[in-house]
Amino acid sequence: MSVGHVARAIESAGIPTSSIYTYAFRHVPDEMKLARVVVTRHPMGRPLGAPGDHARHRRVTMAALELFDTAEAQTMVELPEPYRPGSGA
Amino acid sequence: MSETFEEFRLSFSYGNRSDLNFKFLKSLPDDEAAEFFRQLLDELGDAYDHGSLDPLIQLAIDWQARAYAPREGMPRQWVYEDGPFAEPVKPLSESRVALFTSSGHYVAGDDPRPFGIEEMTQQEAEDRIGEFLKAAPVLSRIPIDTVHEDLRVRHGGYDITAAATDPGVSFPVTVLRELEAEGVIGKLHADAFSFAGATAQQRIINQTGPEWARLLATEEVDLALLVPV
Repeated sequence: MSVGHVARAIESAGIPTSSIYTYAFRHVPDEMKLARVVVTRHPMGRPLGAPGDHARHRRVTMAALELFDTAEAQTMVELPEPYRPGSGA
Repeated sequence: MSETFEEFRLSFSYGNRSDLNFKFLKSLPDDEAAEFFRQLLDELGDAYDHGSLDPLIQLAIDWQARAYAPREGMPRQWVYEDGPFAEPVKPLSESRVALFTSSGHYVAGDDPRPFGIEEMTQQEAEDRIGEFLKAAPVLSRIPIDTVHEDLRVRHGGYDITAAATDPGVSFPVTVLRELEAEGVIGKLHADAFSFAGATAQQRIINQTGPEWARLLATEEVDLALLVPV
């Protein structure tokens, strides 16, 4: 919930936000009516992907950033890609 | 001494089998937790033959989501009818973007010192999770050129192994710096921000959240990328 409250405070101050949530907590931004949200099918603690999976980190980050240019109202996007274990690097 | 199944599943959440990847077992009724273990063993048996752990991992992710999903009739504390929506004043490619996470990262030598303790261990943070949940959060400022070796992470609420191994799993400064160099974002703010998200909620609503929002405004941040863990 913490980031949800922070997101609402930042939006209220006039600064647009985009948030990256894991699948387990997808109900949180929905209930808190957050402005822009990307949901990943990743486990808790690894919202952008596995350690070493730089391509996935980039894909998720881009999806969240693109919402700044495209979202005209509250928007939640679920990325369909399943989690893929990383190299651990 | 005999142990009930309920005691067994609860022990994964800050108990004698504490494992923050599986603390969700606390949120499942006994019959559903039993079904999780049955499916887990079923998939493990299959993995003997096909050798892939992917179905096992996916199963755990699915059950984690099932455990944390709101249940019918369960009272919900933070449900809003509406939410603020600020319009960007500039396109992304011309904007100053700040990264803000609840991952609990900080820079070596700049420990947020929870409860006044320098270099608190991850284990102690987990042991004191109840106190964290009542305390005000401390925001860490992390210069974006901080090298991995100087980055630390501590958070009593989740398994930090991945975040310590590769900060990119929850603190994507490396990707953001690439995107800045490529002109996708106008400017990456010189400092990223992180706090341990297991903290007092009312204080965030009434005090800390608005203070942090004013901080970003003062530092002329145009857009904020937020990463909860």
